[in-house]
Amino acid sequence: MMMDGRPRAAAILLFGPALVFAVAATSVALWTLADDDAWGPVERRGAAVVQSDTCARCHPQQHASWHRSYHRTMTQVAEGDALLAPFAGEQLDYLGFRATMERGAEGQPRVRIAALGEPAEELFAADIAMTVGSHRYQQYLARVDREGAGEVWRLPLAWHVAEGRWIHLNGAFLEPEGKLGSEEDYLRHLSRWNDNCVFCHNTEPRPGAAADGSFSTRVGELGIACEACHGPAGAHVERHANPLRRILAAESALRQDGSIADPGEMSADLSSEVCGRCHGNRIARDLSAVLRDGDGFLPGEELARVSRPIFADSVIGGSAETPFSERFWPDGTPRLSAYEYQGLLLSACHTGGEGLGCGACHSMHESEPSMQLRRDRQGDATCRHCHDEGAVPPAHGGHTAAISCAACHMPRVTYGLVQGMISHRITSPDPAALVGRDDQPDACTQCHVDRSRSWAAEGMAALGLRGRQAVALPSVEESWGSRVLLDLYGGDPLQRVLAADALAQASTPVAAELRMRWLLGALEDEYPAVRFAAARGLAQVADDEAPGLTAKIAAYDFLGPVELRLEAVDALREALGEDPFSGHEERRSSLLEHQERQLLWIGE
Amino acid sequence: MSADRHLRLSIALVAIFLAMGLWLEAMYGLRAEGWVDDPLRREFLRLGHAHGALLGLVNVALGWGCERLETPAAWAMKIRMAAWIGASLVGVGFVAGGLLHGPTDPGLPILAVPAGALMVLTSSVAVALVRPSDILPSSD
Repeated sequence: MMMDGRPRAAAILLFGPALVFAVAATSVALWTLADDDAWGPVERRGAAVVQSDTCARCHPQQHASWHRSYHRTMTQVAEGDALLAPFAGEQLDYLGFRATMERGAEGQPRVRIAALGEPAEELFAADIAMTVGSHRYQQYLARVDREGAGEVWRLPLAWHVAEGRWIHLNGAFLEPEGKLGSEEDYLRHLSRWNDNCVFCHNTEPRPGAAADGSFSTRVGELGIACEACHGPAGAHVERHANPLRRILAAESALRQDGSIADPGEMSADLSSEVCGRCHGNRIARDLSAVLRDGDGFLPGEELARVSRPIFADSVIGGSAETPFSERFWPDGTPRLSAYEYQGLLLSACHTGGEGLGCGACHSMHESEPSMQLRRDRQGDATCRHCHDEGAVPPAHGGHTAAISCAACHMPRVTYGLVQGMISHRITSPDPAALVGRDDQPDACTQCHVDRSRSWAAEGMAALGLRGRQAVALPSVEESWGSRVLLDLYGGDPLQRVLAADALAQASTPVAAELRMRWLLGALEDEYPAVRFAAARGLAQVADDEAPGLTAKIAAYDFLGPVELRLEAVDALREALGEDPFSGHEERRSSLLEHQERQLLWIGE
Repeated sequence: MSADRHLRLSIALVAIFLAMGLWLEAMYGLRAEGWVDDPLRREFLRLGHAHGALLGLVNVALGWGCERLETPAAWAMKIRMAAWIGASLVGVGFVAGGLLHGPTDPGLPILAVPAGALMVLTSSVAVALVRPSDILPSSD
C-alpha cells in the first residue's frame, strides 16, 4: 500500500484521530457544563420508576448492601428461595380448623383451610402468589376476589422463622383467642393487601381503588427497593445517560444533583421522615387519594405535606375520641413497633442539641441486615457522639460499663413482630413517677425483674441518679411481688408480653429457676400472644440454664388444644415448682380480675 | 523520537507500571483505606497498571516492528512518538481518573484514555501499512 508522501500526512494520520476526539470531548464537556438541563433543578414528582437493577449499573456497592437487607425481601413473588416455609404438607390445627400447607401439581405453594371433624368443610383454599417478610416471620398473599376484582389477601397464617413453625396470626396480635369453630374469629386476620400491606412493604405502590370496590394495584417494585427511599429515579437516570455529565460530576463543586433524593445528605429531620413514612404509623390527609394513587410522599419533601404521625391524642375528622390511645403508654410513649418515628420525635435527643435522627444509629448501606445499625456506631458509640465520658462516666449510677446506654434509656417496653422490642423514645428512667401505678413499665424493674417500683425509686437517689421523689404511695399489690410479676399476672396483654420478655433476658440479674417458675403462669394466659412470649422466653432461659427442661417445654404448643397445654404446664410445674401465688389464691384472683378489665385489640 | 530513546522510554514505561503493581499489592496487603473500601478506585488503578505495562510492551513491539519492516525513518520517528505518548496517556488516564473519581464514574482525566488509545491504534496501523518505499519527501 502506498502511503501519502507529504510530511504532514504522517502527523495527521497518527495524531489526528486523538486530536479530533480531544476537541469533540472538550466541546461536549463545555456544552454539558453550560447546559441548564444537566445541572438545574429537575421535577422528580411523577418521574418513572426504574427499579433496582437499573440503579445497580452505576451504584453496585449500594445495590449489594441493599440486596442483603430484609427491606429487599419484604415482598417477593412466592417461588424458589423466597419461600421460607416448606409447604410440604404441614398442618396447623387451631380454633377448630386445620390449615394444610402444600404444593400444587406444578409445585406452586398453596394453603387449604377446612373445619376439623366430619365432614371437613372447606373454609378457604388458594395458591400463594407472594410472600411478605423474611426476618422474623413470613406471611403469604393469595389472589382471591372476595369483595371486588383485583384483590390480593393476606392469609391469617405465618411461618415463624426462628421457631421454624407455622403460627396463626391471632397469636401475633394482642387480642383474645376467639371462639372455637368460629369462621369469623379464624379469619380475623385475612386482610386485604391492596389497601393495607401494599403501602409500606413495596416501592411506589398505587392501590388503584375504584369506586366499584375493585382494585388495579400496581407497585413500582416488589419489596422496599432503592426508590422507596430515594424517590422515583426516572429523571435521574435520564439526566445521567450523558457520560460526560457523570464524569464532570466527579468534581465536588458540581456534585449537586436535584434529580434524586439522598437521605444520607439530608437534614436529620428530612432523612428521618423517609424512615418515618413506614416506621411511624400515620393518618393520611386525603385517604381516598392515597387509596387511589398511593401516599404521595416524595423522599426529600416534608412528610407533613401528605400525612401526620399518630400520637396518643390524635383524633380523626374532628371527633373528640382518641382512637389510638391504646397504642401508647400513659406518658405518650409508643407501645407498638412501627411507631419508632414517633419515639424519635418525642426524644429530647431529637428535639434538642444537634437533633438526633434515624441515621445517627441506622444505615441502609453501612450496616448488617439485622437491625441495620451503623458499623461505626456500634454499642454506645452513637450516645458517646454527644455525651462524652467526661460528662457522663461509663459506669454512672452504680451500673458497670457492661450495661449499655440503651438498656436504661431505651428500655424494652415496645411490642412488635411477636416479641418485646426496645423503645425508640430515648428517656431517663424515673421510676418514682410511676410509684403506685400499674399502667406503665419502667426501665429499672424491666431488668431487675424481682424488684418493686418503690425499690427502684429509692435506688435512684442512693445511686446518685436524677429522679423525682415518689408522688404517690405504693399500691397494696406491691407487697405481693415484683413489678414484673404483677404485670405478668395482672397487667394488660401488652404488659404481660413485655413481662415475659423481661423474664427471658439473659442480662437479667435474677436466678434462671425463679424466672422460669414465674413464666409458667403465663403459659395459661387467655391471649395466645402472651402464651407464645412465655413459651419462647421459657425455652430461651432453659437453653442457657436448664437444658434438661427443653423437651418438656417443646411439648407445649401455645396454639394447641387447652387440655394438651395444661398437661404440658403440669409437667413443667412438677419440675419447676408452684407459681408465686400458690397459697395466695385471693391475690391471684385479684390480679386476674384486673387482667379481665384490660382487653386489648391492637396490632402485631 | 529515535529508536534507542523509544526503546528506553518504553521499557521505563513497563517498569513504572509494573512497580505500580507492587504498590497496589502492598495497599491490598495493608488494607489501605481508600483502596480496599473503594471498588471504583481499585478497578481504575488496576486498569491503569495493566494497560500501562501492557502498552509499554506494545511499544517495544512496535519499535521492533519499525526496524524489522524497515519503516521509513520519518514515519518511524512519528510512530514511536505517537505510540509512546498514547501508551502513557492510557496508563496515566486510568490511574488519575481512578484517584479523582466521583460517586459513580472516574474523574475527568479518564478522557485521556480514549485519546491515548487512538494514538496507539493509529501507530499500530501505521506500522502495519507503511512500506519502506513510502518515503516522505522532507526526509530526503
